[in-house]
Amino acid sequence: MTDRPALALRTRSSANLDPQKIIMVGILMLIVVAFTMATPKFLTYVNLVNVFMNIALILLTGSAATLLMIAGNFDLSVGSVVAFTGVMHALMSKYGVPTNISILLAALIGSLCGLINGTLVTRLKITPVIATLGMMYVARGGAFLVARADGGANIASGLPPDFQALGRATVGPVPIPLLLVALIVVIFAVIQNRTSFGRYAYAIGGNPVCAALSGVRSSRVVTILYVITGLLTGLSGAIFVSRIGTGVPRIGNGFEFDVIIAIVLGGTSIYGGIGSVTGTVIGALIVGFVANGLNLLDVQAFYQTVIKGFILVAAILLNRVIKEKVE
Amino acid sequence: MGAAMAKSGRVQVNSQLLVLIGILAFICLVFTFTTQSFLTVENLGNLVRSSAFVIVTGAGVTLLMISGNIDLSVGSVLALASCVYAFAAKTGMPVELAALLGALSGLAVGVINALTAVRWKVTPFIATLGTMYAVRGFVLIISDAKTVRGGLPPNFTFLDMTHLGPIPLAFFIVLVVILVFYAIEKKALLGKYSFAIGGNKTAAVLSGINADAVLIKLYLIVGFLAGLSGVMMCSRLAVGDQNVGVRFEFDVIIAVILGGTSLAGGKGSIIGMIVGALIVQVIGNGLNMLNVLSFWQSVIKGVLLVLAVVLNQALVRTKGR
Amino acid sequence: MAETLIEIQGLTKNFPGVMALRDVSFSIARNTVHCIVGENGAGKSTLIKILTGAQRKTSGSVTYNGKDWDPRSTGEAMKAGMSVLFQELNVVDQLTVEQNLTLGKEKSRFGFERRNEAQFALTVEALRSLDPGIGLQERVGNLSVAQRQVIEIAKAISSNSDLIVMDEPTAAISDEEVKRLFAIIRQLHERNVTVIYITHRLTEIFDIGDIVTVLRDGQMIETRSVRELSASCSDDEVEACSELIRMMLGKVVAERYVPREPPSGDPILEFSNVSSAKLKDVSFELRRGEILGFYGLVGAGKTEIARAIYGLDAITGTMRVKGRPRVFKNPRAAISAGIAMVPEERRTEGLLTKLTIRENITIMDMKPIKRFGFLSRVKERQLARSFIERVRIATTGEEQNVAKLSGGNQQKVVLSKCLNAASSILLLDEPTRGIDVGAKEEIHSLIRQLADGGAGIIVFSSELPEILNLCDRIVLLYNGSVRKTLKNGAEMDSHLIMQIVTDSTGSDARAQAG
Repeated sequence: MTDRPALALRTRSSANLDPQKIIMVGILMLIVVAFTMATPKFLTYVNLVNVFMNIALILLTGSAATLLMIAGNFDLSVGSVVAFTGVMHALMSKYGVPTNISILLAALIGSLCGLINGTLVTRLKITPVIATLGMMYVARGGAFLVARADGGANIASGLPPDFQALGRATVGPVPIPLLLVALIVVIFAVIQNRTSFGRYAYAIGGNPVCAALSGVRSSRVVTILYVITGLLTGLSGAIFVSRIGTGVPRIGNGFEFDVIIAIVLGGTSIYGGIGSVTGTVIGALIVGFVANGLNLLDVQAFYQTVIKGFILVAAILLNRVIKEKVE
Repeated sequence: MGAAMAKSGRVQVNSQLLVLIGILAFICLVFTFTTQSFLTVENLGNLVRSSAFVIVTGAGVTLLMISGNIDLSVGSVLALASCVYAFAAKTGMPVELAALLGALSGLAVGVINALTAVRWKVTPFIATLGTMYAVRGFVLIISDAKTVRGGLPPNFTFLDMTHLGPIPLAFFIVLVVILVFYAIEKKALLGKYSFAIGGNKTAAVLSGINADAVLIKLYLIVGFLAGLSGVMMCSRLAVGDQNVGVRFEFDVIIAVILGGTSLAGGKGSIIGMIVGALIVQVIGNGLNMLNVLSFWQSVIKGVLLVLAVVLNQALVRTKGR
Repeated sequence: MAETLIEIQGLTKNFPGVMALRDVSFSIARNTVHCIVGENGAGKSTLIKILTGAQRKTSGSVTYNGKDWDPRSTGEAMKAGMSVLFQELNVVDQLTVEQNLTLGKEKSRFGFERRNEAQFALTVEALRSLDPGIGLQERVGNLSVAQRQVIEIAKAISSNSDLIVMDEPTAAISDEEVKRLFAIIRQLHERNVTVIYITHRLTEIFDIGDIVTVLRDGQMIETRSVRELSASCSDDEVEACSELIRMMLGKVVAERYVPREPPSGDPILEFSNVSSAKLKDVSFELRRGEILGFYGLVGAGKTEIARAIYGLDAITGTMRVKGRPRVFKNPRAAISAGIAMVPEERRTEGLLTKLTIRENITIMDMKPIKRFGFLSRVKERQLARSFIERVRIATTGEEQNVAKLSGGNQQKVVLSKCLNAASSILLLDEPTRGIDVGAKEEIHSLIRQLADGGAGIIVFSSELPEILNLCDRIVLLYNGSVRKTLKNGAEMDSHLIMQIVTDSTGSDARAQAG
């Protein structure tokens, strides 16, 4: 065969040399450089921590959701589940459950939501769009109902003093949530590259028929992915409410789309079979930095929504163009 | 396979429709007995009025989903048309013209969708997701995140206020849309081709149908109808609210799917969509009357959606196809 | 003197590494039923694709209606009056019969369908004459396969097609319906429509054909009038079919078959009176170290047997693996019991086309490459490389994407995947279809090596030379049931085999085979 550069010949799915990722990293660096030159406030410790905290929750859920998308599925309910588990966490804390246990229970509730999603998709064979859309409605309604049942629009009073610990605590200079997210991202990178489970996800998304004939238990893998996504989303919910100090059922609006954008930007295909968690990190960073930079430059917040839309479409087109060039 | 059953396509769809109408009737009955004012002219009028937006947009979305595609941007278009209408009316031009401009702004979004989803072949889910974001942001920008309130002409709400007999103009618009699209679904080439493309794209293309042209038309239509709905909503609210339409796209999709349209395309009906929209509205309306928290509606919508699809699939399976 | 509709001269089609058609020349007369026969891989479908615009020719000439014919698309062919009936019927299930018949040809006013009365009358008349039992307002999805075929034919007639190509039209319909189809074809003759009829069922040629062309290995062997052929065999159908078979096979020499004595012992896999949706009372045995072949035409049931073994289809009857009765609920269970399958469709069923060679080889069984529960890159690479060497996969390395390999090398990857799962029973479904001669040889010798090493191997194939070169015993299938099981050897009568699988042995042979 000919001597062609590694980029052109090898479209490894789990590789770190995936062309789209390289382009994205390049774009990320450009953005960082541009904003650094535009304002001195950009490259400060405080600001960077801010950015990372903003994208932390996207990455927490997004790590699992990336594998889920690689396996050919996705989850539209994560925003609502964040709200629901957040409110539940606040409720439980208010009524005497030790905060740490409450956090775990919130994660558990998230897993249950994920289990329902997974069952709907794999056993009842409902398409992921509908199944998770249904869950989105139910969880959102549930969040409001729980808050209401407690007596107000939000659960704001009667929360224990350590309620905000999770969201505000730091280890040295680094906030705990960031450590957690970093850990989770690493774990998922390992799962993706170094476990049979991760390999199965790629197989199921890329060639479901071949995967089945090769003995991969698709239903099981997909359901587990939904459960894990739910679990991490539950955790996100707990972190979110602990950061703001109140159980607000309104949070997480549009969260699912932020997650999808980060994942797609990072080179994961919505059809499945291709992608990586590290790509999602880059994608989330790009979105986070763009939002942050524009904020610092006093650009109106609504422009961000417009830009998000363009970014999403551009990402897909880029994905397609690169794929065609490589072939 | 054996001898074919003497059942035509119409009969089959109709049996599903009958089930739906039965469900609607049942729910209405329940509410009639459990509340005082459900079955009043005023309440029924309200019901019809609030379903109008979903029905008008849904007419186009039904055809689009029958062809196997989707449009998530209709909610943002609703807001866009609202604001465009309000702004245009403020400038002093005749309200009818302003209303037309509002609807045309929806058409413009339809053009964008047609470009990205059909021409550039970006998968419709993502393409219209992108438009949804972009348009929503755009609306916030032009409205400066403030509801357009002051300086609106007195006949701004003409769609609701102008009456022909006891019936408001808006109602006629809805009626016309229903009639036109029912006719399209049953008798026009556009309808037939939508079914063909959704049902067996290869066969459709082999028969010489220009699938891209059909899809472009459908996206334009959906955009226009969503714009029209936006104008109607704006007229009803009497202000240009830039926050309307959040999650509207899902309300429309739920109505369409409840009405028997499959996500994969190839089957569906506008009448079914109307019944579906009514079911959702009636449930909301009745629960309101019973002082049930509106948040239960969200839960119920979710369960309904999943049930509808499960039912849909079960029916398909028992027919053996 | 019938005039010529299509004149084919020196038609050649090259694919990389394979010559699908080689200097084919014959003509198709107007208003005849022209049958084309040949084994799988003889070039039938390539020929049709070139005629109807789905492929471009490499060299040679084709004239249609006297003019040069080199279509760039099927649309172009359709406009010129050609209609093709594929096995996957091109009708829209959700629309009615009438809507399907007029699809793409409607007249409209302001976008609304207006009935073109003259055209419609023609269509209705065509439909009525073909099958009066089909109602115009019936949903096509509710009709049987045969009826849907009729609709496609009616559509072709009403668009004034000069030529209708039918590709294995009788594969999925009942005997009754076949008779009706033949009546329809005779009607087409009266309408001055030319029919190209592709089939494996040789008796049909004598029922319906006027001319028959035999293709073999991409070459045109003979084109003869059916009547003349029949007469030359004293009008004995069995004889005439034999003659056709002789033309289709040429000289079949099982020269590479080396007799192997399978170790006597209990069977490693056994079917006892197994039936499924398609299979009827199938029984056979497989021993260790044996290569068992299943041979039959398209639709005979080969893939169904593979699916039954692999846990993909529900069965009645008993399947015994290593002596124990087993029921597999899914492929995973079969794989755990030591059975692995190389599926029929390489690209959609056999390979993970987005992944690398290394990732494909290991997907069926990851235990060998695990260390402390995680996948060891080192072990995986070693494993992949050892297979690449052992099986001789031509590649730049284990990191190459499988989609870029040639057909033969792709199949080697699929084989490696199964070998990695350490199976004692291998199911190979059309193992060398679409693969060049060199790679075919390599794969065959690999199969023999595996059998020598003690594996039990079942080969499902529609290529007779392959079966004869490889298999120790051969099971002949027709229409879902076993017709005969033969031991391979120097006196193998490929002729008899062909007769059995084409069901053209005549009544006594059929009763004998049972």
